[in-house]
Amino acid sequence: MMKGRRREAMGLALVAPSFLFLLVFFIVPAVLLFVCSFWMAQAFKLIPAFTFDNYSRALSASGFYLLTWNALKNGLCTAVLTVGLSFPAAYFIVYRTRGNLLFYLILVSWFSSYLVRIYAWRVILGSNGLINTTLMQLGLISQPLEVLLFSPFATILTLTHIMLPFALLLLVSALRDVKKEYVEAARDLGASNTEVLTRVILPMCYKGLVGAFMFTFVISAGDFVTPQLLGGRDGMTTGILIANQFRTAGNWPFGAAMAFLLLAAFLIVYLGFVRLLDLLRLAPGRRFHD
Amino acid sequence: MSTPNIVELYGVTKAFGALTVLHDIDLTIQQGEILTLLGPSGCGKTTLMRIIAGFEATTHGRVTIQGADVSYLPPDKRPVNMVFQRYALFPHLDVFDNVAFGLRLKKWPKERIREAVQHMLHLVQLGEYGNRWIHELSGGQAQRVALARALVNSPSVLLLDEPLAALDLKIRHHMLAELKRIHQETGTTFIYVTHDQDEATILSDRIVLMNKGRIEQIGTPEEMYAHPRSLFCARFLGETNILTGAVRAAETDTTYVDVGPGTVKVPANGAAVAIGQNVSLAIRPEALQVSRLAPGGAGGDGVNALDGVVEDVVFMGSRVVYSIRTSVETIKYQETRSVDGIMLAKGEPVRASWRPDAAVLLTH
Repeated sequence: MMKGRRREAMGLALVAPSFLFLLVFFIVPAVLLFVCSFWMAQAFKLIPAFTFDNYSRALSASGFYLLTWNALKNGLCTAVLTVGLSFPAAYFIVYRTRGNLLFYLILVSWFSSYLVRIYAWRVILGSNGLINTTLMQLGLISQPLEVLLFSPFATILTLTHIMLPFALLLLVSALRDVKKEYVEAARDLGASNTEVLTRVILPMCYKGLVGAFMFTFVISAGDFVTPQLLGGRDGMTTGILIANQFRTAGNWPFGAAMAFLLLAAFLIVYLGFVRLLDLLRLAPGRRFHD
Repeated sequence: MSTPNIVELYGVTKAFGALTVLHDIDLTIQQGEILTLLGPSGCGKTTLMRIIAGFEATTHGRVTIQGADVSYLPPDKRPVNMVFQRYALFPHLDVFDNVAFGLRLKKWPKERIREAVQHMLHLVQLGEYGNRWIHELSGGQAQRVALARALVNSPSVLLLDEPLAALDLKIRHHMLAELKRIHQETGTTFIYVTHDQDEATILSDRIVLMNKGRIEQIGTPEEMYAHPRSLFCARFLGETNILTGAVRAAETDTTYVDVGPGTVKVPANGAAVAIGQNVSLAIRPEALQVSRLAPGGAGGDGVNALDGVVEDVVFMGSRVVYSIRTSVETIKYQETRSVDGIMLAKGEPVRASWRPDAAVLLTH
């Protein structure tokens, strides 16, 4: 009895700091924000109330849908690109190399700050940037390509660059659990390399896959700095709109309501992605008989 | 064309960079037998099995299965299946789906898969376990699922890579009996890799003893035990006493060897020996006869006899093992415990002797 109790106390002691941190800095503010989303704002003042006005105002504006669509598009494109690019790299690192050199080289890009990388892409993609000048000197184009910069393309490219190491880290650690002997067992039982991938490797690193995809998706779709600096006029997203409500318009309730609507949209994407993997038979813990 | 030999290896050599782990191995495996690749770790037995399975390519040499050259076929195209050391059961599938894995890839119809899987689960006595997840199984059960998953594909040869290494001793002996039963019921050829001489002797029709990438000796367990052809083989299978000495005289079928103060008469082993050449003699502990010497009445060493003193007595239930210190070597003597109890006491002077044909002459 005593032993069990001590173990329990030990467990609580280990969990407590992170739980407290999350409680104070995430759960409490989120609840407050949720409550706030039902309030009203007048001349920069918050008036406690219980109204759905903020939600209905957002949902009745076509601009909100457009901007949310932009945000989701940024998130989905970035997530698909990032996972699509980092999975083969992770596979190569785990199964084809012995050391971790390549892995560390990719992680090194984390050593530069987020903003620095955004500005670096501005330099590369700009009218007088690396790509445009090279293409012009080669005579392939006569005018600089304006679509390179200040477009969703620039946003997605930069976000992919930023998110790639995150996704790689998650996928490498997920793939490391898929020991070589599982791959060999599948080969031995008659699976081709493709079948090994779809029937063993992908289902076994399901959590890493969902984690990498959602992580990338949520951060990219919610990001308001990259689209603001690189996205141009067509690249406005809900994130920017929400940030503006808090920073300039001073309408916290409206911003909070939009934030929760965006959260709901993310949840739908999550459920959709999980359902998709299940339909593709890539989800583990599924029985294929009965 | 099929041959009575189900697997044939011709001059199989395997090198990893500068390190050669298999040297020019020739081996044939017969239809239906249990053949064990036995040897210490690093002897190349696992690599040899992986070459048969298709996980490693040979550097030189050929592998045929049922008469067809498979040297360049990937594992999924070879008619063999393997039981892995740590089973490698897929954790994302339940027991049924693990066993059905190979048949689904072959696109068998659903009903036939169900029948085959159920039949195989019954064979390994896990008929009711189809719905279990892998993490819910004990080590012995996981072992059975791994067997079922391989055998359900009706392989020409079943490869077993130290399948019992992860199990504790009691279950291991039970599983050995199970393996024998399953072998009898299916008639599948087994190639079994182990470093454990007990597993090898209990299970095998034939043992291939390997050392440093070469085959040391091939034979039935009984042959290997009674007629080891090298010092390595004599030492690897069972307990043995090794005496060394120089050849005094060699006749057609008998060799005389000076061992310490006495002379040992031993059957010639066919190999040419020169007078004065140093050779070894292997004598099994149970092949000795030991008699008590009268106190003070030391008889001196005679032919095929060594006098000494009992140094240690180890009681092992049905057997008693004595260590006898002689003038040349401390030798082990094993006897079945008699109804009168332990016969010799520590410190007693004794004479150990043996029949000439109980010793084996070893020249390398």
